[in-house]
Amino acid sequence: MTKHDERTAGGRADLLQGSLDLLILKSLVREPLHGWGISKRIRQLSEDVLQVNQGSLYPALYRLEERGWIAPEWGVSPEGRRAKLYRLTDDGMRQLEAGREGWRLFAGAVERVLAST
Amino acid sequence: MTTSPRKRSLLGKVLRRNELWSEMDEEMRQHVELEAEELVRQGVPPAEARQQARLAFGAPDAWREEAWGARVPRWLEESARDLRYAIRSLRRSPTFTTMAVLCVALGIGVTTTIFGVVNGLLLRPLPFPHPDRLVVLYATQPAQDTHGVNISRPDFDDWQRANHTFQDMGMFSWSTMTFTGTGAEPERVEAADVTANLFSVLGVEPALGRGFAKGEDAIGAPRVVLISWGLWQRRFAGDRGVLGRSVMVDGQPATVIGVMPPRFAFPERGLAWQPLRRDPVNDLPSNRFYAGAIGRLRPGVTIEAAQSDIKRVSLDLQRARPADNLGWEAEVIPLREDIVGKLRRPLLVFLAAVGAVLLVACANVANLSLVRAAGRARELALRASLGAGRGRVMRQLLAESLVIAAAGALLGGAFTVIGLRLAGRAFPDDVPFYFSLVVDRNVLVFVTLLTVATAALFGLLPAWRAGHQRLSPALRDGTAGSGEGREKNRARSTLVIAEIALSLVLMTGAGLLVRSYLALMSTDLGFDRDGIVSFRVTLPQTTYGEKPKRVIFFDQLFARLRGLPGVEVVGSGQGTPFSGWNVEGGISIDGLPLQPGEERIAHYQIVTPQFFRAMGVPLLRGRPFGDADRDPAAPNVLVNESFARRFLNGRDPLGYRVKVGEPDGEDPWAPIVGVVADYRHYRLPQPMQPAVYFPYGAWPSSTQTVVLRSRLADPLSLVPAVRQAVRELDADVPIYRVETFEQAIARTLWRQRLQGQALAAFAVLALLLAAVGLYGVVSYSVAQRRREIGVRVALGATRAQVVGVVLGQGAALVMRGIVVGLVAALLLSRPLAALLYEVRATDPLTYAVVPVVLGLVALLATAVPALLAARLAPQAALRAE
Repeated sequence: MTKHDERTAGGRADLLQGSLDLLILKSLVREPLHGWGISKRIRQLSEDVLQVNQGSLYPALYRLEERGWIAPEWGVSPEGRRAKLYRLTDDGMRQLEAGREGWRLFAGAVERVLAST
Repeated sequence: MTTSPRKRSLLGKVLRRNELWSEMDEEMRQHVELEAEELVRQGVPPAEARQQARLAFGAPDAWREEAWGARVPRWLEESARDLRYAIRSLRRSPTFTTMAVLCVALGIGVTTTIFGVVNGLLLRPLPFPHPDRLVVLYATQPAQDTHGVNISRPDFDDWQRANHTFQDMGMFSWSTMTFTGTGAEPERVEAADVTANLFSVLGVEPALGRGFAKGEDAIGAPRVVLISWGLWQRRFAGDRGVLGRSVMVDGQPATVIGVMPPRFAFPERGLAWQPLRRDPVNDLPSNRFYAGAIGRLRPGVTIEAAQSDIKRVSLDLQRARPADNLGWEAEVIPLREDIVGKLRRPLLVFLAAVGAVLLVACANVANLSLVRAAGRARELALRASLGAGRGRVMRQLLAESLVIAAAGALLGGAFTVIGLRLAGRAFPDDVPFYFSLVVDRNVLVFVTLLTVATAALFGLLPAWRAGHQRLSPALRDGTAGSGEGREKNRARSTLVIAEIALSLVLMTGAGLLVRSYLALMSTDLGFDRDGIVSFRVTLPQTTYGEKPKRVIFFDQLFARLRGLPGVEVVGSGQGTPFSGWNVEGGISIDGLPLQPGEERIAHYQIVTPQFFRAMGVPLLRGRPFGDADRDPAAPNVLVNESFARRFLNGRDPLGYRVKVGEPDGEDPWAPIVGVVADYRHYRLPQPMQPAVYFPYGAWPSSTQTVVLRSRLADPLSLVPAVRQAVRELDADVPIYRVETFEQAIARTLWRQRLQGQALAAFAVLALLLAAVGLYGVVSYSVAQRRREIGVRVALGATRAQVVGVVLGQGAALVMRGIVVGLVAALLLSRPLAALLYEVRATDPLTYAVVPVVLGLVALLATAVPALLAARLAPQAALRAE
């Protein structure tokens, strides 16, 4: 158990299969980020509810890169270091829109099922 | 936002693996650092922060593997790993690797070379547009089974006019041209007279200037000539100014109108062309002896359709002029078939032979791999039991095979480049321009497929065995190699038996072809080949148009040549044996009219009185020509034995009279005054035809071949003096085709010689490979049986007995190989029969000698390990285990 886990214990949600991709894409909409920046952005945006298992971010990043949804570029990180930044591509933007629709449908449906009892 | 960047290729990622991995490392290291810094900012002590950050990240190795898996498919990654492992493993056994790669390189090298030749001659399109629509037309008499006869001009005109299937057809006649003037030596080149449309039928345009125009073949049209690129470069120094200029051709001015593209020659080696003129004397329907035709089919027309179309035209012609055309038809042959028809079978035999060499090489490598696998039994069993799994072990061994095959293919490919150059030299006068022996896409695809097939051939058996060996005994046994049983020995023995059998098949084929070549070489030629040099002289029509002038020239030349030191006899005919001067024509015999359907076609030759003495051909009856035989109005002739046998039923020809052409023709009846022995004139193995010889004095022709018989060991040393003599008489007269009879015979037999040589070379390769394989198997089994041999020696066995045991083992393999090989050879030599001359495909001598030779070589290969075994000291042998 890490300190993050302790601090967010009780209010933490595991990521559903496939939703990590969506979160990564969304986190890159405003600006290119490096790997750690992405994980931090997701934590911030979800107000520490969503925890990305930090190592598992990388297989996901390379998968998205292979699909052409994000593109790597070497740049300078906010910390002033040379780092590999990921940028959202046009394909990635379209994918994010499609994914968002899908997610809303899915979440709404689950909500309706749960509300019915 | 921009579009997604171009993705890296898979191969690029695999090749740049190290770079990409260190990039990932760096990225993940930074991540952990940043996380730790963040924790420090939140008040965690630095050491603890680093610890926490590492824990939060998880095991970087696992994430990296998984991340890499997102980039490169698993199978590719695993294959790359197998290959890396294979290369490492092969590096550890350099002897095995070197031997195996060399075997494969040899097999792939020769196979690909021969395929390259097959590709160049049989597969690559001929260098004309739509070459598959080009055909050659011949006259044929189906009833007499006479094929491939040249055609007459009137027939050609009618075929061209009445057919519905040809886009166009052109006609040509073989000739030679002499270029004089321009301050250089006179030069004689092979040439052709062609119809104006012939080159456009072929689809070849002049590179400079223009082609022939309609009407330039009319009688009395100004003389024009097209020359080849090479002739233009050589004789006219590539000067464009030669276009439109008048040059001296055959002693007459002709205007150069164009230069054909580089390398182009027609037919075969012709280098200059002029229009085929209409000629009222020669353009007779029955004069089928001087021209060939090439046609271009309309798009979509099959050979069969063209054949039946032209047959219809032929039948119409038979009705229209039965006297000339009865029984005559036309045959349509694809151009390539016409060019390579005779080479196809030997080429396919070669391909089969090198395939056998490759199989022997594969068997050898398979054997080596089995031995090596035995040595690695423990290692492989260990790997399998440690979870690598059988499939994994098999994959690794197959990867090793693939690496060996690929290395062998690279080396063999280098050999192919050289081999194709050597193959080009096998042609008697360089490779004809329409073939190119090059490594092209076909060859590359072939060698790639061959590499994979080869790897599978020699790799599957050892890999399957390694994957299926029982694990426990291999692990339990302390000694390398004792974990394998009788079964594996049997596999290796079977491979060696196969190698020996294949070698025997190849040796038998080579033996048959070599015997056949020797039979041809020792054919009784009927003339004395030693001490002769011959050359051809052509007198220009302009200066020697009148017959007496020719006679004077040759009389003077002969007198000079007779005076040269070492010269014994000087004679002359129009053509010498194997020179291709095969002039034939109809002959009539006084008092013996032709029966219906009978034909008398004889070989014609105009000879000087000393011709037969110079050739060493005996006169059998009557008298030779004398200096008095000079009257064309009352000529005498000589005939040969075949003439008497074929046309006179063996009666004495003396006293009969003959006439050129029809009995009612204008020529005078000429009495036969002598009979000479038959000698081989046509390309071997064709027999001599009935022949009629006319006296040069009565019919002096402008082209004569001079035959010099000398006492000199090297008759060619006369050549400078001969050239000098001709130059002194007339500096504008060229001499050409200078050769000894030995050279002429070698030239005429080049195909047979090549067949024998090539197959013999392949057989020697196979035999050597098989010997190496046999040596390997026997010496390996000696090494395996060291303990047993040690015990035997300790118990009192003599060295001779030990040698006997080992030799016996080898002999058993060899005998089985020979038996299998003999049966296979008997079955497989049948396709060779068509290539054989005076030797049957079941030639007993070949079948007796080949196994003996093979047995001796095998004995040698077995004797070495046997003697080594005998020298084994018993203590050492026992200790070794």
